[in-house]
Amino acid sequence: MTARKDLSERALGVLLLTPAALLLAAIVVYPVATLLWTSLTGVDNANPGAGEKFVGFDNYLRAFDDDRFWHSLWQTVVYVAVTVPAALLVGLGLALLANRPFRMKWPVRLGLLLPWALPLVFAGLIFRWFFEYQTGVVNDLLATVGIAPQNWLSDPTLATVAICTAIVWKASSFMALMLLAGLQTIPRSLYEAAEVDGATAWQQFVEITLPMLRPAIFVALIFRTITAIQTFDIPYAMTGGGPGDSTETLAMYIHKTTLDFLDFGYGSALAALMFLLSMAATSGYLRYTRRSAGREER
Amino acid sequence: MNLNRRAVVWLSAVIVAVNGFFPAVWMLLTSFKTETELIRSPITYLPIAPTLANYVTAFTAQPILRFMANSVIVAGLSTLLCIVIGALAAYALTRLRMPHRNLVMSLLLAVAMFPLISLMVPLFKLMRELGLLNTYFALIMPYAVLSLPVCTLVMAAFFQDIPPDLEAAAMVDGCSRVGALFRVVMPLAAPGVFTAAILAFVNAWDEFLLALTMMNRVSMRTLSVGITLYQGEFAFPWPLISAALVVAIVPICILIAVFQERVVGGLTAGGVKG
Repeated sequence: MTARKDLSERALGVLLLTPAALLLAAIVVYPVATLLWTSLTGVDNANPGAGEKFVGFDNYLRAFDDDRFWHSLWQTVVYVAVTVPAALLVGLGLALLANRPFRMKWPVRLGLLLPWALPLVFAGLIFRWFFEYQTGVVNDLLATVGIAPQNWLSDPTLATVAICTAIVWKASSFMALMLLAGLQTIPRSLYEAAEVDGATAWQQFVEITLPMLRPAIFVALIFRTITAIQTFDIPYAMTGGGPGDSTETLAMYIHKTTLDFLDFGYGSALAALMFLLSMAATSGYLRYTRRSAGREER
Repeated sequence: MNLNRRAVVWLSAVIVAVNGFFPAVWMLLTSFKTETELIRSPITYLPIAPTLANYVTAFTAQPILRFMANSVIVAGLSTLLCIVIGALAAYALTRLRMPHRNLVMSLLLAVAMFPLISLMVPLFKLMRELGLLNTYFALIMPYAVLSLPVCTLVMAAFFQDIPPDLEAAAMVDGCSRVGALFRVVMPLAAPGVFTAAILAFVNAWDEFLLALTMMNRVSMRTLSVGITLYQGEFAFPWPLISAALVVAIVPICILIAVFQERVVGGLTAGGVKG
């Protein structure tokens, strides 16, 4: 009787998981398989009419010699290296500010939710205009403290700064929401005990808040890193990759290669490399968390 | 001391709120300005001569209502698909005794977390070969996948809290297992299902890359892409763009303002437990 029940329960479980599995098979697994195959094909330039043919690892070798690929990869790494820690710091700051006993909760909650709910492109458009030379708020504010207006979006370095600012603004509030949830699980009694022992606010932060917040920080960092590697919308809206190709990310280059140049073979190879990059980042983080979790247990 | 403390609390609230609201407020203010006011130097903060002309132009220059309808259709149907499929999976993974269910769960999540940009290339090729570019289908399916992990996690968290006895009672009364899912578990987990639905809807509403890729006919553009059509090659009519942006974000603002507690709960349940 129990055995039969178990079997039917298992069969039902498989049945209920089937729609999800089919959807993932059609939208992820099958396309990814074709991606890998397509990345090994290309159009013969001497005979373009013949269509795509197998070229082995030529597309990957081509990426190795492609300056534009290396530059877009470097630019992506810059966005990751800058915006992940910056968004964490700003997000942590916002979370600490928001973790107070407010009588009116909605302005704070909406203040954190609105940047999350705003589409990335919209944030990009708005910040593009904040950083405009003539009509932008940033140059106006700089003028009030006596700094000359800057050509933010037509200088590669300044444009990168502007883009990073927009990304940090957009990403930090989601981080803050996740960290805030972590903060609220820390028992008040810990702080009360620390206060009795005469610990300063800073000591409480370092000795209680940060260690207790570690799991939330790790989850937030993984999410942020995976998203940062795929940065597309904000630079697309702010500079379109310009000036020149200087602020172009790997995602933008892949998009251009596939959609504008219709070079599926090369685009697929770049997309496969992007996937490896994303996997490497995730597994690196996971290994680090597991190791540090192990150390704590010991 | 007490006054000081209250001032600090108050100041914290102001900082968080201003940080979150200033771009939206700035857009709202600019949407009432005229093009000539915009290029004044120094720039003005409050509109001098408020006008609604930009809103009129926002509706006539581009088919913004059509963009909105497209967004509603795509986001609505993908949410529905995601919720139904996610609910079945979450139920199987939390309430049935399944072998290796943690493995299955991680596998589902890992597959669904595949970077969208890598997926974009083969999906575009696939949809093009199937002649499905410029159809709602081309966005609905990937969007359902996009939100599947977070929705499954959020619903699983809620399903777990429902006492199994209720379901058993329904089954004794002659309800089938799937019947019990839809008649007992789902209604009790309604807040969780609803939260998951809002998250899926916002995700789909905000998505840009695939929307840009799959739909190249103006009449099929969704809102997030449609808004970028207001700009010229070199000209940025900011008051007009602001008006269009305001129109575009009002629905989503209302949604998150009304359901803010749920949304926060859902985001953090999906995040912290994932």
